[in-house]
Amino acid sequence: MKRLVAMIALLATQPAAAETPQQILDALVAQAGPASAARGEQLYRAKSAAGKTANACTACHTDNAKAAGQHVKTHKAIDPLAPVAQKDRFTDPAKVEKWFKRNCQEVLARACTPQEKADFTAYMISIK
Amino acid sequence: METSGITWKNLSTLILAVGATAFAISQAPANDEAIFPMPAGKTYVEECGSCHTAFAPGLLPARSWRRMMGELANHFGEDASLEEPRRLAILKDLETLASDSPQANMRMRRINGAIPANTAPQRIADTGYFKYMHDEVPKHIWQRKKIGTPGNCIACHTRANEGRYGEREVRIPQ
Repeated sequence: MKRLVAMIALLATQPAAAETPQQILDALVAQAGPASAARGEQLYRAKSAAGKTANACTACHTDNAKAAGQHVKTHKAIDPLAPVAQKDRFTDPAKVEKWFKRNCQEVLARACTPQEKADFTAYMISIK
Repeated sequence: METSGITWKNLSTLILAVGATAFAISQAPANDEAIFPMPAGKTYVEECGSCHTAFAPGLLPARSWRRMMGELANHFGEDASLEEPRRLAILKDLETLASDSPQANMRMRRINGAIPANTAPQRIADTGYFKYMHDEVPKHIWQRKKIGTPGNCIACHTRANEGRYGEREVRIPQ
């Protein structure tokens, strides 16, 4: 019986593998050192000459990360990026890593550093 | 002795029969309801549907999908590479549900019939059936900000990610 309860408890905690944005930030800070929301905002708004399709984060996510965006090429609607406006943002570490990989490559034609990821995440969390 | 034409019994049988037929008709998919089978699970919509509509596999033949999934590092100018197990799983679903698969429905066969066998189109909007079905959509509609390109199915076909392209579910954004 105890075992069954334990198993049920384990099963019940499984979906809670999702994290909070703060936990995701903490993990990035642990790799990179202290994060700066101000630097994150600079990164978010910076125009990049290396971008093939999108020349900045804002090209798809717009100047306002609380607003819905639109893919610059396919025109598909994109949910807001700021967790305050879209509650599932920055809650799945694998998804966060996947999109840093994809979009840093797309806009900057290189991988982002742990410091950049930490700063960017700090900025997104700071948006109220 | 002759009974009268209408009795409660045969009247109720008639009402039941009419009701059952009407129900059956209302449940059957309308002729214009274009419904395509979609890969099971969330992977396809999550991986392919983040940047664009999760296109129904039945909109292109298997050879188109094979070529596309073999060139993901340069996917319409973007690097959409996937980890190999995931790429293979998605390709398998695409092949299984493609327009030329053995279990293709009538509409998928019509789509397939309009694609020359020696071609492997990569853009659904370039296929004959797509053009035929959208020939009444004027240019200025495509140019609306929320639509922008014919590949943005989900802008108007609101349930495209479920494989539903029926005319009754079309909502053209302003």
